[in-house]
Amino acid sequence: MFKDLDPLLHSQLRLAVISILISVEEADFVYLREKTGSTGGNLSVQLEKLSEAGYIEIEKGFSGKRPRTLCHITEIGRNAFEQYVEALKSYFNTSA
Amino acid sequence: MEERNLTQNESLEIITNMIKETRNNLEKDGGSIYLLWGYVWLFVSLAIYFLLMKTGDYRIQWLWFTIPLIGYPGMIYLLKKEKRGATTFAGRVIGNIWIVIGVVAALLSLYMFIDYNAFPILFTMALLINTGVAISGLIIKFKPIIVAGFLGILLSFVILILSGLDQILIFSLFAVIMLIIPGHILNSASRKSQKA
Repeated sequence: MFKDLDPLLHSQLRLAVISILISVEEADFVYLREKTGSTGGNLSVQLEKLSEAGYIEIEKGFSGKRPRTLCHITEIGRNAFEQYVEALKSYFNTSA
Repeated sequence: MEERNLTQNESLEIITNMIKETRNNLEKDGGSIYLLWGYVWLFVSLAIYFLLMKTGDYRIQWLWFTIPLIGYPGMIYLLKKEKRGATTFAGRVIGNIWIVIGVVAALLSLYMFIDYNAFPILFTMALLINTGVAISGLIIKFKPIIVAGFLGILLSFVILILSGLDQILIFSLFAVIMLIIPGHILNSASRKSQKA
């Protein structure tokens, strides 16, 4: 039986962002953009969607004089990611 | 990276690739900080050794304070320059351990103003800092740092056996064993993992 995959995570960029944030305590916008190879505009939109769903928290601040956007995963996001991986497993278990 | 739906295989690939990206050992990028402290320590202690040998004037020992006076601003500059963009749990723990060690080292040094015979300062400092090196090595699971730390802990006790100027010479050797050599190894490991 296939489990439903969370549509919010079942997208290339959002899944990449959550996969990074699951492994680090926090990451800034530039780091996420470089690691995912995305454009700044697209990344902003996807981060906003993840934030609206409560999966991540975004803190806007300054590092010296430069603005810096920091993101970290929330408990809701961590649970959603774990459920996504569990659901993903069901596809592979059946096809194996 | 574009916005589109994925196959299950692609999902799995993204997850593994991104986790692998972050596992490129962010904590192992600290080689230059080891080198900064190592070279400052080495040059200051050798300078004190030779100046004491030439002049015999023990007021030269005040020069020890140039280590934190150069080391801390230099470290702050390097940390700002090498901004990493992401913080891992291990990185934060190591940072906090060194903050505590820095505070203890400062207090021990300041106590020397009250009673410079209260405890063997070179031994205490060497033991404290080598302990920090060994713990950092264990956290990042990096053998050269672990070996350097434990070797340093053992050698710290040599300071208790020696006396006078020889103590300072051994103390300068610590900079090479526990900071300069591991610092160079860390930098080369970090360069390799960035290329991979």
